Amino acid sequence: MILLSGESDLIVKNYRIPRNLLYTKEDEWIRIENDIAVIGITDYAQKKLKNIISIELPDVNKKVSRGEVIATIESVKAVADVYAPLTGIIIDVNEVLRDTPEKMNHDPYGEGWIAKIKIEARDEIKHLLSPEEYAKKITESE
Amino acid sequence: MGEFAGFRTAMSYGDPLGEHMAVRETLAVFDISHMGRILVEGESSFELLNKLLPKDLSKSKNQRMFGPTAFLNENGGFKDDVMLYRFSENKWLIVCNAINRDKVLKWLNEWIQRLSYSKISVRDLTLEKAMLAVQGPQAKDYITKIRGLESGLSLQPLDFVSNVSTEYGLVDVVSRSGWTGEDGFEIIGDPPVIGRILKKFKELGVRLAGLIARDTLRLEMGYVLYGNDISEEINPYEARYWVFDKEKRDCVGCEALKDFARKGVSRVRYGIRMKKGSKMIPRTGYEIVYEGETIGYVTSGGYSPYLERGIGMGYIRSSHALPGLDVEIRFKNRSDEARILDFPLIKK
Repeated sequence: MILLSGESDLIVKNYRIPRNLLYTKEDEWIRIENDIAVIGITDYAQKKLKNIISIELPDVNKKVSRGEVIATIESVKAVADVYAPLTGIIIDVNEVLRDTPEKMNHDPYGEGWIAKIKIEARDEIKHLLSPEEYAKKITESE
Repeated sequence: MGEFAGFRTAMSYGDPLGEHMAVRETLAVFDISHMGRILVEGESSFELLNKLLPKDLSKSKNQRMFGPTAFLNENGGFKDDVMLYRFSENKWLIVCNAINRDKVLKWLNEWIQRLSYSKISVRDLTLEKAMLAVQGPQAKDYITKIRGLESGLSLQPLDFVSNVSTEYGLVDVVSRSGWTGEDGFEIIGDPPVIGRILKKFKELGVRLAGLIARDTLRLEMGYVLYGNDISEEINPYEARYWVFDKEKRDCVGCEALKDFARKGVSRVRYGIRMKKGSKMIPRTGYEIVYEGETIGYVTSGGYSPYLERGIGMGYIRSSHALPGLDVEIRFKNRSDEARILDFPLIKK
């Protein structure tokens, strides 16, 4: 069941899905800012992982291909890989997460962002999921 | 909620780390109703259990728990590890792992037939009764807040009282033990009574804790979890799990145990603690590596909020089972430094 909340978010069960982002079926979100993609994990992902303990971040300037593992998250529940949703170059990582990985729990779409990728293959954006498509994916996997 | 051994049980109440620390510092309550509870009653119950358990039952006492001990197969592997409550010589409650309940029931009935004991009844009370574990240094202060349960306060560890009348109804058993390394109590009774007690604890502000916290607490202590750390293929010497009396003869698995002692074992269970600052958590199946060579495997692991790093346990080739040895934990292309240690992994 999908309920509306305010203007900007979809809510599926108790998972928040902002309408201004794109998603992957591996539970990452992507915010496209010109030729930069900011990425993180979704509210659904952080709730499934529960307390996040640590993250291994990629090196800045690293070239990554779509689908490649760029970060590894350890939580009390499981270990989870974060995949590059788009091909490009890592131009920034959220260093703050090294000491305060719990930001991914508390603010997954804000302070909990993971990395920024300079997009090198714009046509790959079509593979990403819309908020509605991602909402459907969550509903089906619950 | 999650599923464990076919039961819908709480993995956490939203904050596994907080639940864990509550048990270490104050207290928390676990609903452990999923655990198997099997009543063995009637003439020859003592003989039956003495045949099936590698611990000497003559050391058991009425109104006292007996264990941890285990049902072993003929090869000395674990069928299950259990705690028993001795009400009398011929009345016992077996608390077993949820995943092994059917197996234990079958094993008991099979041996009753084989030994032609006609007067023993085996009753599965698991679904009829509920069970709570109240754990933590403040457990003793809170148990008295429910009228009737203060009788638990005078119990020595492993002692229990039965048929306790409380303000919420009759409780079958109050015992003093736990699986967390902290002081605590178990309460067994009819589900409505246990439900009311649980509600009261909640009203008193006591936290509820789920299976994740239960798992990380037992990991810090080095307690084994059936299915991860012990199985039909692992014996008590390898597990260094002293569920048996070495001098005992004539039990299922006793002969095999003597053989293991004579011949030695090739792998043993030890603890793993990641290096300070490591971001890696050892998990089931990860390799334990020394100078490039795999010397063992992790069987369970998790995050210790107490030590603020990953911990675990695993089986290590006997030649390298050296507490203090610095090793690497490896999984796919990730690896990080860790140390082999004896249990418990935390010193309080």
